[in-house]
Amino acid sequence: MTKDRSAQLIAEANAMKYSRRTVMKRASALGLSAPALAGVLGATGHVSAAPNRAPAFLQGGSLNMLMSTAFVPAAQDLFQEQATAWGEENSVDVTVDFINWPDLQPRTTSAVQAGAGPDIVELWDTIPYLFSESLVDLTDLAATTEEVQGGYYDWVTNTASVDGQWKSIPHGNSASVVAYRASYFEEAGIQDAANNFPETWEELFAVGKILKEEVGKPLGQALGQSLGDPPGFAYPYMWAFGSMEVEEDGETLAFDTDSFREGLEMFIQGWTDAFDETGLGWDDSTNNSAYLSDQISATQNGTSIYIAATDEDGENYQPEIAEDTFHAPLPAGPSGRFATLGSRSIGVMSYSENQEEALAFLEWWFSAEPFQTWLETYQGYILPPGPTFTDLGVFTEDPKLAPYIEVPSIARNKGWAGPANLKAAQVSSQYVIVNTFANAVQSGDAGAAIDEAAAHLQRIYGR
Amino acid sequence: MAMVGSNAKRNRWLGLYIPLSMFMVFLLFPFYWMLIVSLKPNSELLDTSVNPFLLFSVTLDHYAYLFTDTDFVRYTINTFVVTIGSTALALVTSIFAGYALGRFRFRGGTLMGALIFLCYLVPPTLLFIPLSQIVADLGLYNSYWSLILTYPTFLIPFASWLLMGYFRTIAIDLEHAALVDGATRLQAMRHVVLPLAMPGILSAGIFCFTLGWNEFLYALVFMSSGEMKTVPVGVVTDLIRADVYFWGSLMAAGILGSVPVAVAYSFFVDNYISGMTAGATKG
Amino acid sequence: MSIITTEQPGQPVVPHTRENFFVRLVRRESSLAWLFLAPALIILVVFMAYPFGYGIYISTTDAMVGFAGKNFVWLENYQRLLDDPIFRKTVRNTFIYGFGTVPFKLVLGLALALVLNQTFRFSRVFRAFLLLPWIVPTAISSLAFLMLYNGVLSPVSWVLVDWGIISDNINFLGDPVNAIVSLCVANIWRGVPFFGISILAGLQAVPDELNEAAALDGASVWQRFWAVTWPVIRNITLIATLFSIIWTFADFQLIYVLTKGGPANSTHVFGTYSYQTLGQTFIGDAAAISLYMFPILAVLAVMLLRYVRHDD
Repeated sequence: MTKDRSAQLIAEANAMKYSRRTVMKRASALGLSAPALAGVLGATGHVSAAPNRAPAFLQGGSLNMLMSTAFVPAAQDLFQEQATAWGEENSVDVTVDFINWPDLQPRTTSAVQAGAGPDIVELWDTIPYLFSESLVDLTDLAATTEEVQGGYYDWVTNTASVDGQWKSIPHGNSASVVAYRASYFEEAGIQDAANNFPETWEELFAVGKILKEEVGKPLGQALGQSLGDPPGFAYPYMWAFGSMEVEEDGETLAFDTDSFREGLEMFIQGWTDAFDETGLGWDDSTNNSAYLSDQISATQNGTSIYIAATDEDGENYQPEIAEDTFHAPLPAGPSGRFATLGSRSIGVMSYSENQEEALAFLEWWFSAEPFQTWLETYQGYILPPGPTFTDLGVFTEDPKLAPYIEVPSIARNKGWAGPANLKAAQVSSQYVIVNTFANAVQSGDAGAAIDEAAAHLQRIYGR
Repeated sequence: MAMVGSNAKRNRWLGLYIPLSMFMVFLLFPFYWMLIVSLKPNSELLDTSVNPFLLFSVTLDHYAYLFTDTDFVRYTINTFVVTIGSTALALVTSIFAGYALGRFRFRGGTLMGALIFLCYLVPPTLLFIPLSQIVADLGLYNSYWSLILTYPTFLIPFASWLLMGYFRTIAIDLEHAALVDGATRLQAMRHVVLPLAMPGILSAGIFCFTLGWNEFLYALVFMSSGEMKTVPVGVVTDLIRADVYFWGSLMAAGILGSVPVAVAYSFFVDNYISGMTAGATKG
Repeated sequence: MSIITTEQPGQPVVPHTRENFFVRLVRRESSLAWLFLAPALIILVVFMAYPFGYGIYISTTDAMVGFAGKNFVWLENYQRLLDDPIFRKTVRNTFIYGFGTVPFKLVLGLALALVLNQTFRFSRVFRAFLLLPWIVPTAISSLAFLMLYNGVLSPVSWVLVDWGIISDNINFLGDPVNAIVSLCVANIWRGVPFFGISILAGLQAVPDELNEAAALDGASVWQRFWAVTWPVIRNITLIATLFSIIWTFADFQLIYVLTKGGPANSTHVFGTYSYQTLGQTFIGDAAAISLYMFPILAVLAVMLLRYVRHDD
């Protein structure tokens, strides 16, 4: 069966001169497994992803991994298949558990406390700091994997390494930009909206006012206590208005500035004028469904909205919305244009009795072929941690996704200008920056919201 | 007579039909929504032009997805094993504990009763971290025992207090009579007290079963690798992917995870009610 | 211990004389009592006492999960919390949440029990199905409420807008007051059946003859309830209230799914705030937050229990 389908796909691909991406899409439509896919890729002149054979000492071991669920189901399935294939090749009993994002942290915390659990865990940005004493030092391996990626970007080094050491190997993260409906923006008076998104926050609020009042499609932004979209907006806005948590020394607060006070005043007005005001209660998924159900004209998000809308086989296929959707970076403020980005990474627990297997797996998975296959399956949702893979078809073929690949050039880490350390992690997990905005909107008093947040930052950084 | 009849009729409406329908609306409304979502095609879910509470076409895809793309059957079996195991363990230990607390006068008895009750006051959001250490030390990670042994920590306090109340209601003379007739204490307990307390034991069992059935945090932390997941943990990890929720299947899991239990309870409910009575009123 | 060994199952313990019987019973009872308590105590000690003790100990340190170093800081964590505005909000919210739901659950549960206590067709089916809110796993029913409370796509808002009752979608979770009311409603929904079924059980013990006699004497429904029904169901009602208060104060899942304590910390309760703090591995602080709840609940519990035992 598989052989037939593989052969069919090889013939098809060679005849039609399929791109690597198309081959993979077709392969997933045909239900080919990772090894079969690797075979097809090899036969059609693309880079394949066959597992290498690891040294004999691994044979008979076991390996358990704890990863977060993937928004693109195919990517999750592919990782599972890659791991299984590697395990079979090396006679290692490999199991992978995928877990919902918010549940990853308590699972890891309890495993660390108990000194038992998964051998390999996926870590979000700033988390390697939290578990630095519980993770195996991977600095040597990171040197190799960095080479594969063509050098790590600053946003990666700033967020995934711990005081110059690597406790985990970064695999990039999803970036967020503004997804917007060009037709609605044109209705609101923007000409050629597909190529012309408001440059500054002030302009966006002005257009947003028309969008909300006259077009009836407000802007959408989550401002609830959620770790994805709300900080994706709040940190860049803060930076754009000349504020940051701390100076470069990581101690001196630089949060309460006049220009941020003005910027926050403007936001309070902008929120009532231009945004759907229920956004204070939104979580990471609300703007996706609001956008896909045609309730809002723009929202800041990863590629998940656009991918869902264009996916013919998906549950949320919305071709008209997809066609009308364009992307643009978050607008600029007086101090510039920013985004926040931190890399996810994969680490090995120091309590693990299977560290050799874990290291061998990571070494293989982060080598060019398997990583590239995985990245491509993600359809551009995940930005790679270095430049090597940025010219893959998934990032270049659809010009609408171009703004995503630009994000790293304006991205900063949480805690900037200081490091993305424990303090920055605490600020983020207590939603201090996000709640500055939520408080300001609720009370209408920008000054009080900033005072409260500054006091909170002082408690954290002064401790 | 006519007056009385219409009065009775009016009372029936005021005292039964009207409040009963109000309760039905309030208590079953979210449940109705779950049912609708579980049967609604996704395209309709995001369609804001039609009334969301109505179904314009029905699909069983969400249910099918549960069975084909997740290990729902396995999760259900796991949940049953864990819930029945922990309920049985909690019940047996609570019967003895409740009997001792309710029947025996001994030094420290009241204190022990209070201490067992205090266990109820410790929040699981704190306990799960040190508990995970114990679970790991005993080598129970990802086995049924991890939950069968830890769930009783919140089941025993409740069940033993409830049963303590029941045992107090059973006349002590009956037991004394048995003892005088030459029965041992255990025999008297088994043949005289337990049958009389059966309804109470049943009701305590139903309470325990429900609490175990619903538990999330311990199940997430102690038993969630591979196929070893309970229903709440399994569906949440399989059906929420990043910022995308598989609403239909999530709700389908909610329906499938509760209606059979409700039906089973309906067989017990009369017993359960008469069982509650004895313990509750004299507790 | 020697006394326990004489108490093996199956070994007849026949009192020789009546006078001796009670003396021996009392003496043996205490050892038998401990034997009976042992299984429950072992489970609780192994799985509860250590974690609880550990929690108290760790709350007096600046420990962080995964870091070996920790210092003893006495009550510093507790002290610092008193100056923490989020913690103060948390305490306030917990009380609002507890006292905003338990009375409603009690009154509605009582009413539900009185309704279901009547005989009517299919009453057994109704009794079972009205239990559903309590049976559906909270992890899933909370998600149903997440949909019902959606700011943009709430079906409730849709219908009310359609009927012309409101013009804009209801901001269920985005406004501090609305958010806590929404959480309370969901909590009440989940909690009413527990009260209903517990009190219903108590009602079975109300002697019909008394009620009928009182009715013949011309007592009103209200008078009959207080004179005949209430004394019987009083204890079970108080016990159900007690357990419900504990569950509500320690609630976590519902709030975690719906708001995670937001917006701007306006719905944090002890459970969610402690969990959020633990998320950054500050286990000392997290334990202190959780343990602040303990004396509050203990005082409530003692008050209620004394009342229950008062006329025992």
